[in-house]
Amino acid sequence: MPTVTIDDRIVEVPAGTNLIEAGQRVGIQIPHYCWHPRLSVVGQCRMCMVEIEGMPKLQTACSTQVVKDGMVVRTKTPAVLEAQRAIMEFLLINHPLDCPICDQAGECALQDYGFKHGQAFSRFRYEEKRTYPEKERVPLGPHVLLNMNRCIHCTRCVRFTQEISGTGEIGFFQRGARKEIGVFPGRPLDNPLSANVVDICPVGALTSTRFRFAERVWYLDKKPSLCTGCDVGCNVTIEHRRGRIRRYKPRLNPEVNDHWLCDFGRTTAERYDELPRLLAPRIRKDGTERATGWREALDTTTQRLRARSHEGPLAFLGSGFLSSEEAFLLAALADAVDSPHRAIWVDSGPARRIPNPQGWIEGRDAAPNRRGAELAGLVPGKGGIDASELLVGDAAARCSFLFVADSDFGRAAHDPKVVERLRAAQFLVVMGWADTPLARVADIALPVATHAEREGTFVNVEGRLQRFSPAFPPPSQVREALSVLGELLARFRPDVAGRSIAEVFADMAAQRPAFAGRRWEAIPATGTVLESIARVAPAAEG
Amino acid sequence: MAFEKVLTRNVGHPEALGVRGYRDRGGYDALARALRMAPEEVVEEVKRSGLRGRGGAGFPCGMKWSFVPRQHPKPKYIVCNADESEPGTFKDRLLMENDPHQLLEGCVIAGWAVGANTTYIYIRGEYTKAARILEEAVRDAYASGVLGENVLGTGFRHDIHVHRGAGAYICGEETGLLESLEGRLGQPRVKPPFPAVVGAFGCPTVINNVETLCCVTHILQRGADWFKGIGPDERNTGPKLYAISGHVERPGTYEYPLGITFRELLEGCGGMYKGRGLKAYIPGGASAPMLGVNDQEIPLAFDHLARAGSMLGSAAVIVMDETTCVVRATLRLSRFFAHESCGQCTPCREGTNWMAKILTRIESGKGTEADLDLLASVVPNVGGISLCALGDAAQGPVKSLLAKFGDEIRDNLRHGRYPLPRQRFFDPGAAS
Repeated sequence: MPTVTIDDRIVEVPAGTNLIEAGQRVGIQIPHYCWHPRLSVVGQCRMCMVEIEGMPKLQTACSTQVVKDGMVVRTKTPAVLEAQRAIMEFLLINHPLDCPICDQAGECALQDYGFKHGQAFSRFRYEEKRTYPEKERVPLGPHVLLNMNRCIHCTRCVRFTQEISGTGEIGFFQRGARKEIGVFPGRPLDNPLSANVVDICPVGALTSTRFRFAERVWYLDKKPSLCTGCDVGCNVTIEHRRGRIRRYKPRLNPEVNDHWLCDFGRTTAERYDELPRLLAPRIRKDGTERATGWREALDTTTQRLRARSHEGPLAFLGSGFLSSEEAFLLAALADAVDSPHRAIWVDSGPARRIPNPQGWIEGRDAAPNRRGAELAGLVPGKGGIDASELLVGDAAARCSFLFVADSDFGRAAHDPKVVERLRAAQFLVVMGWADTPLARVADIALPVATHAEREGTFVNVEGRLQRFSPAFPPPSQVREALSVLGELLARFRPDVAGRSIAEVFADMAAQRPAFAGRRWEAIPATGTVLESIARVAPAAEG
Repeated sequence: MAFEKVLTRNVGHPEALGVRGYRDRGGYDALARALRMAPEEVVEEVKRSGLRGRGGAGFPCGMKWSFVPRQHPKPKYIVCNADESEPGTFKDRLLMENDPHQLLEGCVIAGWAVGANTTYIYIRGEYTKAARILEEAVRDAYASGVLGENVLGTGFRHDIHVHRGAGAYICGEETGLLESLEGRLGQPRVKPPFPAVVGAFGCPTVINNVETLCCVTHILQRGADWFKGIGPDERNTGPKLYAISGHVERPGTYEYPLGITFRELLEGCGGMYKGRGLKAYIPGGASAPMLGVNDQEIPLAFDHLARAGSMLGSAAVIVMDETTCVVRATLRLSRFFAHESCGQCTPCREGTNWMAKILTRIESGKGTEADLDLLASVVPNVGGISLCALGDAAQGPVKSLLAKFGDEIRDNLRHGRYPLPRQRFFDPGAAS
């Protein structure tokens, strides 16, 4: 691999690496607007100018590749600093400087570089700024709003729709100082990946119609997590304020979602606002329901599981929203009471597709972890009742006990007919974060954490095992499903009492072949493919 | 000045518009000669002639050809840049309208030299007459066996397509031209890679100006040594068309040996309009910095003008007499560049516009000395760090305004006298 000297630091990089990336490897930041690692190099913003020994003029770092040994680059010479100052000045003379009312403020490359490379005063006196009348808030599509006055013409959005989504809605129009971006008449920016242009826009020109004015970004806490919209398993950053999720941002994972996230995925956290929350355990006795404590709720559940006076099977229904560890414990609980009646239900949804450098991943489930739950053992045993018998058939009516481990397991949880069918069980326990119609008819309702409040693993459509961790703690009376299931299980199997998630995972790895050899602590940040099922995973098309 | 016309020898001979008439006057001999030579020999001959590009940058033509990889899996292309849009320039129009086959011959020779089977002539959209004549000439050339599967019976295949532009200055920039040719927005590409390796449709491409390719024809006809004998020195050779406009008695396109002085050129076109005094002249189209009264003895050649702080450019000489307000003239040029900037790169998009705004203020009499200093500090940032040469071009006139006329403007601003009254360039009654 060739080496390059950047500001007296020598770095060895693969041939073809550009100077921005080479600099990043040794902690030298070369400012840039138009360059993006996944988009073509256009060299338009001229912010990344560097001095290269032997070249008469400054060169753009984005378009200069390291091909052979011996290149000597300087990023802080007087000429470079003057070029950066000049570019910042040029970008700002016509910029509205409306940071106080701009959504991008706080995460704006113009602000950041303005501090670092710009000057604190304007030499653009007397003249009127170039504005784009009537273009302050142009809806480009359902998710994206354009304020042309703020645009710095980097064309990342144009190139995104041309090169990544392949839909080409955004174009570059006019020329000179009147240059503008926009969509073609009658062809709005309406593709499943459209909101990514908001993420890659370095300034406040493109803002999200959903997030707009919802929160100042410096109030947001950011935690890594996974999207639950489908079984692609996109890596996201949950951005919340005091436990209220304001938005998902894609988190780089070149193996899964790369830099991107689909529009649908971004909306999934809104479900936590839309549905009422189950905030305390609830018990229904003699026709009246009341809030209760965890002890009574779990004691009553345990009694019903132990009581053999009632005729009929004990059934356990999970969902694709359970983590692999929760599914493992639920299956273990069924085993502990000798019930083969364990199943999961996963809605199949419209296909969700996300591009990464290897191609496209397509998810078809409407939940993130059907594969993980099944591999963890949550499948009907011999002669066991399966999910459709419970939801479509009348199997529930035969059950003496039905444990639904996710109050929002799918669309059916909101269907009065299905709720009625499940309610026909002699005793119904519903666990979940949402107070769904199903939870409201339960004998025992157990409030548990959302995926943003707990930790665990999901296995995506390609068999990739990925960890997620809590972004914030659950409300006070709400517990993590893992600890609830663990406590219930411990009442039948005192030997596994007080297990941590790492220990539960270790148990699972020991008992379930798909997880064999894996360790909780050793799951890499980008996930790891469970080979045994990767081979049978359906390949995404096109 | 006694000089045998070379490039314009067929002007005034309309029979040369057809292949037969052109042949009768010695045409297509050069092509026949070239096709008997090895391609490398043709490149070597052009290299030896010292021919430099006539479009503006003055890059050695033979060297440009030699950058095209000999062995390449992709097809190669010749692109003739006929998008003559530098203000003041109208030399290629003369060549295309009066002697189209001279150009076609040069294109095929270039194709043979670099191994290209296709030429695109990208012609400025406004040149409807020239485009019509070229298209007619191409048809005639196909019918006469000069173009097509079997050029002059040698088995060499060459096709020529005439492609009309849509009226953007920036499409005269070679990579902007390629983008436009490929059907995209006319915006220059980031270089490297250079067109010689990745050009039209991603293939190796040679882009030459009309006059350059016409010169090639004569180099192959009469030899590199003859060509080298014209002009002041080894690096500035050959005949040259000068397009002279502005305050002169007989504006037009004149052919001279490269390196004629401005004074000689002026004499050749009848001197200054109404015998007025000279204030400034632009030697090479709108992008070239202005020169003043003291610069009249400079040979109008590549290196000589570069040493004088200007450039030969397209050799479009714009003459301004003493009644001209140079601020206003510079403002006009700055507005042109602001209008024609493609707008993709920051310094050019914002800088050309800002320069025009500052100049507007000075020209309207509201400027201060601080504005001149501001202008002086903004100008160097517009070129140099821009993506293509348009930023550099936009600097030219303003830079020279500050350098040559700065003191005069400063003095006038101080006394509130500037600018000169606005007036028509020509008195319509007198210009009969």
